Amino acid sequence: QPCNWLSSVLTDVHFWVPVAVLIGGLLLLEFIHG
Amino acid sequence: MDKPDGDWPNMQVVVARGNEAAARETSRPRKLQVLGILSGFTAGAWLGAAEAPTKLVSVGVSPIVISLIMVTGVFLARWSVPALVLGTSSVRADLRRAPHLMIWAVLAGCLWAVANTMTIFAIRDIGLSIAFPLWNSNSLLGILWGFIFFNELRQAGWRRWTGVLGGALIMCVGAALLAIASSTQAPAAHSMRGVGAALGAGILWGTMYIPYRKAYLSGMNPLSFVTFFTFGELGMMAALAIGYLGLTPLWHELIGARDVLFWLMLGGFIWVIGDVFQQYAAKYVGISRGIPLSNSNQLWGLLWGVLVFGELRGSSASTYMQVIGGSLLMMLGVGAIAFSSAAGKEQAQWQEAARRESQRYHIAEDYVQARMQGRQVEGEIRPPRTMWDWMLVAVATGLFVFFATLARAPRMSFHWGPAMLLITATLALLLVCGTTLWRTTRFN
Repeated sequence: QPCNWLSSVLTDVHFWVPVAVLIGGLLLLEFIHG
Repeated sequence: MDKPDGDWPNMQVVVARGNEAAARETSRPRKLQVLGILSGFTAGAWLGAAEAPTKLVSVGVSPIVISLIMVTGVFLARWSVPALVLGTSSVRADLRRAPHLMIWAVLAGCLWAVANTMTIFAIRDIGLSIAFPLWNSNSLLGILWGFIFFNELRQAGWRRWTGVLGGALIMCVGAALLAIASSTQAPAAHSMRGVGAALGAGILWGTMYIPYRKAYLSGMNPLSFVTFFTFGELGMMAALAIGYLGLTPLWHELIGARDVLFWLMLGGFIWVIGDVFQQYAAKYVGISRGIPLSNSNQLWGLLWGVLVFGELRGSSASTYMQVIGGSLLMMLGVGAIAFSSAAGKEQAQWQEAARRESQRYHIAEDYVQARMQGRQVEGEIRPPRTMWDWMLVAVATGLFVFFATLARAPRMSFHWGPAMLLITATLALLLVCGTTLWRTTRFN
C-alpha cells in the first residue's frame, strides 16, 4: 500500500520539520559557499 | 471446594514461577535503560576514535573530499561488520513492516551530510574553539524535539529534568573549554559566516534526531536504519562534492589523495560502529539522554590528540587547566544524565507516543511493543543470511584491503603506549556493550 504510507508521511508534521531544516541548510550552505 | 493437599507444592511452584516472570518483566525497562546508557558511552568512545585516522592526513586534500571519502568508508563499513549481525533479509523484513522509515532514514543521512559540510566551513572561518561549542548545542535541540514530539521528559519530575538539562548544559560548557584549549587556529575574517555555519550544523544535527526517534518508536532495527541512512549520507555528500568541485576536478583530487584514502575510510569504518551504538542509545534511552551521552566523543577525540599525536605539547599551564577542567565538566554532565534514567510515568508517555505512531502508519502494536523491548514478536522467524550477504561482506572487505595496499603511513609523531591503552579501552567497551546487547536483545 505505497499510497497509504506515503500519504501518512506527507501529512505528518514530524516529516516537514526536518525537510524544512534540510532546505534551510542547503540554502545557508549555498550562501556560505557563494 | 477444598483442593487435595498433594496439589499445594505444585501450586507454589506455579506461583513462584509467575512471580519470577513478573519480576523479570518489571526489571526489563530498567535493564534497557542501563543498556541505552552503556550504548551512549560506547558511541562516544568510537565516534571520538574515528578522528584518530583522519589525523594521519596532512594538508593537500580539500575538506569536502575528506568528508566524501570518510562517508564512502561509512557506506562500505555498513556492509562489512554490521552485515554479519543483520543480513539483507532482515532489513527487507523490517522494510515490509514499516516502509515509510526508509524515507526517514535517507532524510537523516542527508541532514548529516549537509551538517558535516557546514562544520568544515565553520572551522575554516571562526576556528574550532568557537565552532565546536556552537554546533555541540545540537543535544539541547535534541532535548527540545524529544519533549515536543516524542513525550520525552514528560512527567519526569524536576530531579530528572535537572539531571538531563543541567547535564547537557554542563557538557556544553566543558566542550567549550576543551575546544578553546585544542584550538590552534586564530579566528578568521568571515566571523558572522562561520557562526552561521556552526549554528546551522547544530540545528541540522539536532533535527536529525527526529528521524532517529521516529524509527525506534515504530520498531525499526537500528542496523536497518543505518543501512538507509548511509544511502542518504553518501548520495547527498556526493551531490555536494560534485556541485562544489565539479566531476573532473573531484576525480583528480581523489586520484591525488590515493595514499591517504585508506586512513580516511578507516575513520569512516570506526565512525559507523560508533553510530550504530548511538542508534541503540537513541532507541533505549531516547534522544534527550542518548545524544548528550554520545556527544562525549569530543573528550575521547581530545585524548587521542593529546596522548597519541602529541597535540598541545609545549602549551601553557592555563591550556592544560582548560583541558582538565573541560574534561571534568564533560564527565560530570555525562554522569548527571546517566543517573537520570526514565521512570515509570515517563515511560508510559513514551508508550503513548509509540501507540500514536502505530496508528498513523498502521503498524501492529504487538510488533512495536516487542521491538521497543528488544524482543521478537511471538512466532516471528529471524531470516537467515543468504549468499548475497556473504558476497556483500566479501566485496566490502576486499575494497578495504585494496585501499590498504595503496596506503602510506605518514612520518609524524605517534605514541604507541597511549595508543594501545586507548585501543584496548575502546575495544573493551565494544565487547562489554556488544555482549550486553546480544544477551538482552539478540540485536532485535
